[in-house]
Amino acid sequence: MELIKDNVVPWQEGSAKSITFIVTKDCQLACKYCYLVGKNAGERMPFEVAQQAVDYILGNPQLFPEKSVVFDFIGGEPFLEVDLIDRVCDYIKVQLFEKSHRWFNSYRFNFSTNGVGYHEEAVQRYIEKNRSHLSIGITIDGTPAKHNLNRVYKSGKGSYDDVARNIPLWIKQFPQGGTKVTISSPDLPYVCESVLHLYALGIREVNINCVFEDVWRDGDDQLFEAQLVLLADEIIGKGYYRGYACSFFSEIIGKPLDPELQNQNWCGAGMMLAVDAAGVFYPCTRFAQYSLRSKKAVAIGSVREGVNRNRLRPFLTLDRSTQSPQECMVCEVAAGCAWCQGENYDAAETSTIYRRSTAICKMHKARVRANNYYWNKLYRKLELEGETNNFEKKEAHVIC
Amino acid sequence: MLQHLVIMLDDTAASYCHYESRKTQRRLISLDSLKSGILFAMKQNLMLQVVYPRYEIPDGHKAAIESIDHCKVAQGNGCVRGVAVIIFDGWRDAESRLAVAEAAESKEKIVVLRTGKADFFAGHASAMQLLSRAERLNVALTDVDTFGEKDFAAYREALAALGEAVKQLYAQGLRPQLNILTDRLQLEKANSCNAGYENVTLAPNGKFYVCPAFYLEDESDAVGDLSAGLDVKNRYLYGISHAPLCRTCDAYQCRRCVWLNRKTTGEVNTPSREQCVVAHLERNASRNLLRSLQSAGLYSAENAIDEVSYLDPFDALTGR
Repeated sequence: MELIKDNVVPWQEGSAKSITFIVTKDCQLACKYCYLVGKNAGERMPFEVAQQAVDYILGNPQLFPEKSVVFDFIGGEPFLEVDLIDRVCDYIKVQLFEKSHRWFNSYRFNFSTNGVGYHEEAVQRYIEKNRSHLSIGITIDGTPAKHNLNRVYKSGKGSYDDVARNIPLWIKQFPQGGTKVTISSPDLPYVCESVLHLYALGIREVNINCVFEDVWRDGDDQLFEAQLVLLADEIIGKGYYRGYACSFFSEIIGKPLDPELQNQNWCGAGMMLAVDAAGVFYPCTRFAQYSLRSKKAVAIGSVREGVNRNRLRPFLTLDRSTQSPQECMVCEVAAGCAWCQGENYDAAETSTIYRRSTAICKMHKARVRANNYYWNKLYRKLELEGETNNFEKKEAHVIC
Repeated sequence: MLQHLVIMLDDTAASYCHYESRKTQRRLISLDSLKSGILFAMKQNLMLQVVYPRYEIPDGHKAAIESIDHCKVAQGNGCVRGVAVIIFDGWRDAESRLAVAEAAESKEKIVVLRTGKADFFAGHASAMQLLSRAERLNVALTDVDTFGEKDFAAYREALAALGEAVKQLYAQGLRPQLNILTDRLQLEKANSCNAGYENVTLAPNGKFYVCPAFYLEDESDAVGDLSAGLDVKNRYLYGISHAPLCRTCDAYQCRRCVWLNRKTTGEVNTPSREQCVVAHLERNASRNLLRSLQSAGLYSAENAIDEVSYLDPFDALTGR
């Protein structure tokens, strides 16, 4: 039998270094939920800065011991700078070869794009040139109504039509490509229909999450739960659990976590390295100034001075118990409750990454309830259909 | 739990720790603020530690301070009587002023020696004199954050030499206390400074700070004031239970300076590599001293400090 589709595991997950080039802070869109509060058209990465970053990273392999690497290019909209990116990628490839670097045949170039310019000649030329080492995700939020609610041009016009027209080409080139959907309070009524719409467009993997910012209103959790229950019914009823994935539903979420054995940090900030147009290094792009509402940027070095290892220590020693309030440590549905280190930092009363924001708490709990519903319903369906061999059967405990 | 209140009497009050006191303009705490601070300490049941400037304070201030049990911290220039903690800046300062300070002294004294690495490496041979005359010698390195590999090696050598000096004094029947060597012989848990958690500082502007260094670095970094009270945001981060590198570390003599932590790593609960390596060099030197004293029958054989394979607990914690 065809297995229930789980989310696709990212390439070389856990063993690949993530290097992020913030190539531009400009974007054609002005999405209403965008966390990049400091976007602008002025900060474009000069090639020389990217070159210095590559020289430093490839010239110090002892500082980057991972066996593989993912070079992320982000913005703003990264493909606005496709010519620069093409040049940087060529430089990376030549340097990997000349240095006989262990990443020579173990690298990828990764993009999250708004998809507006995906069809353009320069972008397509770049894709053809680097196809075997590329991962590209186009962000489309769902139905035209849902998408255009937030993902708008600076003029206010929705971008759905310009993105949707490029989806077939993208799926043809990257059949396993997934899309990233972000949910904010006004989006909640559209969650179910949006995921189904994306499936109908041919997108088989929908990575979807609620924003971490403190935007949630009273009643949002009930609305969210109701939408997810609807979605669960649709996925199960229409058989989408075979061959499609939606990150909202996962067997591993919603369980208590052991305070000692499951004490690892959720977020990978500090394990990755981001560099901006000025050549400043960050533990993640979320710590660059353009991502922060109320705090100063957290730099961990530069292309000139290298990585300041002391500045990295808090990120690399951070664990769950140290940053979480007691309510999270004793939470009975803690598994899968995510956090963003940058948002934690931005929301904290002091300039610390050791303070977990709990703004998402009620939304996580709503998700867990709907997730339980989904799996209970799916298990029962499969059981009745005689297809339980592939699943762990729940033990029936009798309490009377 | 809060246990101590440090009152900085003036902007030019002496530094008694790692930070530099660079302000030259006098700014004496108002008498009202001083009295309010003392009242706060009394009501919160806090032990008072008063840090003096280099000049004589007014009689009104003196009288207020004498109204409560307290500990005087001052430079060893003889202008404050009854000092419990005497501060010297470097070995030469200590050698030349110790007698002056002693003349003004009526209590058993703790000597704080603030010293940079160059001064420390060059002058540590003078330690015997200070160790034999002081009740206790606290060395406060003022440039730990600049230590490099050569400095670590030199520090290891200096600690070994100091260990020999301590052993000689033990052989003479003395029990010298040198924070960087002898504290670890007896400690069974971390002896952190715990600024922000067990103690806070009242500055001359009438506001509370985590410690004097936080005030001197940025006056806007207050954690409350005398009218609104104390408000240390994210206070748990100042305690050792929320310091991943420190909570399992056994370099118990380390003061775990939260100001240096923030300066070097950006977080009050995370020390830099330099702080950790220096603390472990001290810990290991204490281990060598303990074994040496035990071999000579000068120390209880029951005490033990385990051997560890790292100098930086970060390496052990992260497997790097």
